[in-house]
Amino acid sequence: MVGQEHGISPDGNLEAVEEGTDRKDVFFYQSDDTRYIPRAILLDLEPRVIHGIQTGPYKNIYNPENFHVPKHGSGAGNNWAAGYAAGDSVYEEVMEMIEREADGSDSLEGFMLLHSIAGGTGSGLGSFLLERLNDRFPKKLIQTYSVFPDTQSVGDVVVQPYNSILAMRRLTQNADSVVVLDNGALTRIAADRLHVQEPSFAQTNQLVSTVMAASTTTLRYPGYMHNDLVGIIASLIPTPRCHFLMTSYTPFTGDIVDQGKTVRKTTVLDVMRRLLQPKNRMVMTNTTKNSCYISILNIIQGEADPTDVHKSLLRIRERRLATFIPWGPASIQVALTKKSPHMPMSHRVSGLMLANHTSIATLFKRILGQYDRLRERNAFLAQYKKEPMFENDLEEFDESRAVVADLIAEYEAAESSDYLNPSPEKASES
Amino acid sequence: MASTGSSRGYPPESSRRGTARDPTTRPRSNTDRTAPPPPQPQAQPTAVPTGSRRTTNRPGAGGSVIGEKRTTERTHITETTITGRRVKSPSREKNASPNVAVGGGRGTPLGTAPTHMPSLHRPIEQEPPRTDGSRWGRRRANEERLSNIFERRTAPWNPEATLIPPTTAPLASRISIPPLASQMPPSKRPPPLEHMTLELQEASILEDLLFVFMGYEGQYVRFHETYNPALEPDRLAGPTFRIVSGLDPSLRDLSTAMLKMATHYGAVEAFVEVQSREEFGAVNHALCAAIRKLLRDYLVLIAQLEHQFLTSPSFTLHILHLHTLPTCHMMFQLYSLAREMLRRNSMLEDDNDDSVDDYDDVENILESLREGGDIAGASGVPGAKICKGGSVLGLLTHRLASMAGDPAARSLLSMLLREASRPYMNMLNEWLHHGMIRDPHAEFLVKEQKSIKRERLEEDYTDEYWEKRYTVRDGDVPPQLEAVKEKVLLAGKYLNVVRECGGVDVSKTGKDVPQSFDDIRFLENVNSAYAHANESLLQLLLTTHALPARLRSLKHYFFLDRSDFFSYFLELAGPELAKPAKKVNVGKLQSLLDLALRQPGSIAASDPFKEDVKVQMNEVGLTKWLMRVVSVSGIDEGATLEEQRAPVASIEDDKLIIGFNALELDYSVPFPLSLVISRKTVLRYQLLFRYLLSLRHLETLLVQAWQDHNKLHTWKHKSEHPQVELWKRRVWTLRARMLVFVQQLLYFCTSEVVEPNWNALMRRLGEVKTVDELMQDHVDFLDTCLKECMLTNSKLLKIHAKIMLTCTLFAPYTANLSKALMIADPGLALPKPGRPGNRYGSGHAVPMEVAEEERFDQARLDKLGDNVAKYEENFSRHLKILLDALNYYAATETVVLLGLCARLSTASNEADSGGTVMMG
Repeated sequence: MVGQEHGISPDGNLEAVEEGTDRKDVFFYQSDDTRYIPRAILLDLEPRVIHGIQTGPYKNIYNPENFHVPKHGSGAGNNWAAGYAAGDSVYEEVMEMIEREADGSDSLEGFMLLHSIAGGTGSGLGSFLLERLNDRFPKKLIQTYSVFPDTQSVGDVVVQPYNSILAMRRLTQNADSVVVLDNGALTRIAADRLHVQEPSFAQTNQLVSTVMAASTTTLRYPGYMHNDLVGIIASLIPTPRCHFLMTSYTPFTGDIVDQGKTVRKTTVLDVMRRLLQPKNRMVMTNTTKNSCYISILNIIQGEADPTDVHKSLLRIRERRLATFIPWGPASIQVALTKKSPHMPMSHRVSGLMLANHTSIATLFKRILGQYDRLRERNAFLAQYKKEPMFENDLEEFDESRAVVADLIAEYEAAESSDYLNPSPEKASES
Repeated sequence: MASTGSSRGYPPESSRRGTARDPTTRPRSNTDRTAPPPPQPQAQPTAVPTGSRRTTNRPGAGGSVIGEKRTTERTHITETTITGRRVKSPSREKNASPNVAVGGGRGTPLGTAPTHMPSLHRPIEQEPPRTDGSRWGRRRANEERLSNIFERRTAPWNPEATLIPPTTAPLASRISIPPLASQMPPSKRPPPLEHMTLELQEASILEDLLFVFMGYEGQYVRFHETYNPALEPDRLAGPTFRIVSGLDPSLRDLSTAMLKMATHYGAVEAFVEVQSREEFGAVNHALCAAIRKLLRDYLVLIAQLEHQFLTSPSFTLHILHLHTLPTCHMMFQLYSLAREMLRRNSMLEDDNDDSVDDYDDVENILESLREGGDIAGASGVPGAKICKGGSVLGLLTHRLASMAGDPAARSLLSMLLREASRPYMNMLNEWLHHGMIRDPHAEFLVKEQKSIKRERLEEDYTDEYWEKRYTVRDGDVPPQLEAVKEKVLLAGKYLNVVRECGGVDVSKTGKDVPQSFDDIRFLENVNSAYAHANESLLQLLLTTHALPARLRSLKHYFFLDRSDFFSYFLELAGPELAKPAKKVNVGKLQSLLDLALRQPGSIAASDPFKEDVKVQMNEVGLTKWLMRVVSVSGIDEGATLEEQRAPVASIEDDKLIIGFNALELDYSVPFPLSLVISRKTVLRYQLLFRYLLSLRHLETLLVQAWQDHNKLHTWKHKSEHPQVELWKRRVWTLRARMLVFVQQLLYFCTSEVVEPNWNALMRRLGEVKTVDELMQDHVDFLDTCLKECMLTNSKLLKIHAKIMLTCTLFAPYTANLSKALMIADPGLALPKPGRPGNRYGSGHAVPMEVAEEERFDQARLDKLGDNVAKYEENFSRHLKILLDALNYYAATETVVLLGLCARLSTASNEADSGGTVMMG
């Protein structure tokens, strides 16, 4: 179930076309005329992007009933509150779509939500949907691919810290796992790896879609293990609140993005090593000496020999390329999957890392800092006060901030070796 | 002729007629045994020894009734010539001068007494018309007349020939044994030798010897007293002769030397008759036929000698001796061969009558019963003791080897071997090129147990069909085939399967195959047949019956290499499988499995063999079962695996196992794939499957616990009490450690054990040369998997079971913890009302008042902490033991375990330290 937001909208369809999967029915269902239709719902409060899809090359693949654009809608105006409020008006219709799709799947395990958290629709309407989905399907998993704003530079949306904090509260409380993608990191990867200085949205979106496709290969090309979403996530997320995952993918080559024609050696060790390098992460974080991995899952695609994998793991351990939390199981899990037969690739092995790393907290800290600066000045709050939620007070802002701060604290606590048995004073602090 | 014949004083001719008939009737087929053989026309005058020669020499005696006539004539002659002999002997004495003998010898071989002939024969030849036309009638008339004649003389001396009932040897003589000369009335005794001159003695003894050479008593050369021709062992041992006293010593010595040959001849002839019986098998029959040919030549020689004796005056005992020397040698060879054979058959000693010896081959009896044969026929002679088929050939070969220095014996034996091996070679070729056995006498080196039907493969855990249906008769392999017997066995076995599956035309047309062991192409033939059979069967298995696809399908179902369908199945069948195994509705499971298999889009849906998968419940838990296997046979479980299947007793404590632990899949494999994927291997698949299933089930449990922890407000919401939070962290961590443990184990078993071994198997499949290798590879693959999955080591199994148990108990325990947690810290029970975004928790049954929120049960929390600590300790301790054990076994036995070790230790070492921190 893919909610679609204009920032990263083409993803769903990209994947849809490229992957002639072995388990097509994971994300697709078959229409009467043998076409595969993605189980996707595209939502936007303003018609521009969705119209783009509807007239674009993939217009026929989607179920036309699954597009939802309010007739009168003119977007959420980058206002979380507006997006959230709009949720009420579209609630019935959207839930109807979702339930229709949910009923149509034999073994519904969960939902995937793609959105950005900086704007209005993605964060506002997304937050609204997260809450409702959680209510409506309490047993189902909700995984989100959330695009965080570029925190290193000033974004194009001034209020994005507000939106981010408000959305992050929902991500913390209502989602089961959040794959954090960072526009800044995406741009940088596009620049470094693919030698594109000014990457277009289409190119960064291609990166994202690659990651998404890779992270679901175990579902779509079932192997011995990791063939359900929960199995993947459960091992990655030992403690419920620390469920923000970062990703790395290597190698990005010209097969995926035309400009990056580089020849490189792809052995299992190389791939696994590169995956651990911060520069390949799709998130910009500041790694401190304390930050460490909580868990890692490497999804290796291609002809990987299990013995190579084993050797690589040993090597990584010897070289201490990855530091782990001191209190819990410290392992790099590996899932070996086959490559899509429909996509010729020049390299032998490619890998995706899904990692739960404590340094993600630094990203949140930056957002929190930006938020605090805006909030101190009470800047740009007028728009929010127009919406019913903030009519009376701005308590929601404060609560959200508390939740995010709590989350950061939780991550920091996880870096210490006495996480499980802290000294009393520390315990009282946390 | 008449004079020589008559000189015997008893009727040897009747018996001689039997021997004379042998060569003529030999061409007759073996099947015609019941009807008394009609006399045959004398088709081969030259090859026929004395008896028939006489008739052929007589003008006008060529009709088909001659043999019969001869009988009558002969019996008649017998008593008429008693006088004739008296006449003859002096005449011979008179005619001892060379020129007379030469002159008379021209026209007729019986030139010594030409004058007697017409007078003797005419009345006899006119006799038949006097009786009625029936030959039997005539015969009876003759007998009557005979008895009349004898009545006039001494009553007991009644030499008459009768037909004895036919034996199973079609060519054997059926004429009753002539009476012994020692019982002859004294009146008929020949004149004592000491009264004769030396010349007369020599002539008499020469004539006698000629008879003796044919196996009859002479006038002066008699059977030894101890010899009783009525007894088979005596006959087989060969008649011993003694020369009546009075012979000149010079003649006596020479004669005695030659008598040996007569003894040998008698023995060999008896041997041939005995060994031609049905139960001795085709090889013996062929050998006997070859020997018969030799005997016929021998008789020809005797006839020629007789001719010489009758015609050449210079024919002396010395010349006779000289002429018979090579033959004597040959006879001796035959004789010693016969002796050896008989010794093998244990027919020399008279113990062949006690048929109570170990006839333990019950299968054989049953077999013959099933085939409608009568046991009596088969077991008339103890089957186990008969030297036939390959043993005969072996014996011949052995003798051939030991006689290598004797060219005559060599050529003789190699001829015999060639002839005797002919039927054997036919069988061999039939088997090698068509995979069929036509072996009514059970001689062939491959033994077929028809009772083992391939239908039994379905529930056969011993590979009986493949292993036992065709076996090599180890004792009966001819030495020529000894080196290639396995190849021979396999070649036919393979072809047999190919033929039974009917797919391929297995008969090679226009194939010229070597017919004897001497053929240089002999080994090449075996090898090429073997290669061809191999190729055909491999082709059949790999291509026609798509073995690789089958194996892949097995891998889908038993190793869950694409486990999506199975996840779905487990989800569907979860409630059913959670019940105790006894209460599980197998039918329902089956339908659920079918549903999951037919789920469009799943791998299984496109698998053509999905119909063959069945669900079944095994009432014995996996660990227990494996423990039993291991305790019985250690790591090398091989043959004993099957036995584990049978005992249903002693499952008392397994009665409680739930469906998940009892679930197993069954897979029906059609013939001939069931040869490779036999029950034995399916059992191994099942063991692996159950192990993987147990891991998966545990994973599912832990993941469910994770879901609880992530979804329920109780767990998710941060408590206001730090201790509660800490406690939760510990639970989470322990759960995470267990999950990592299980997933690492699962990863190890699948990616590091099954998958590489599987790839190796697939590679082997491409290069494998024989089906047996293929089967072995397959079993090896499974055994390796079992071993590397730690399923064959009792120590590892025990520890492993304990850890699994800890995890299995812990996973559902957390569900209870949720409630306990709520009671301990009511603040977690419900979200604070009134806040947007906190809508969950409405499902909780325990509504708590806000006022109660502050109540916090420290004691309860401590208890919870203790409980978790127990689990932690248990898990850590067992994991440590397991790691130690793994390290040990990785160093000593299974290197692969090292990988697992590294894996689990990355998963748990730090965790251990965490655990100890907690302990402290």
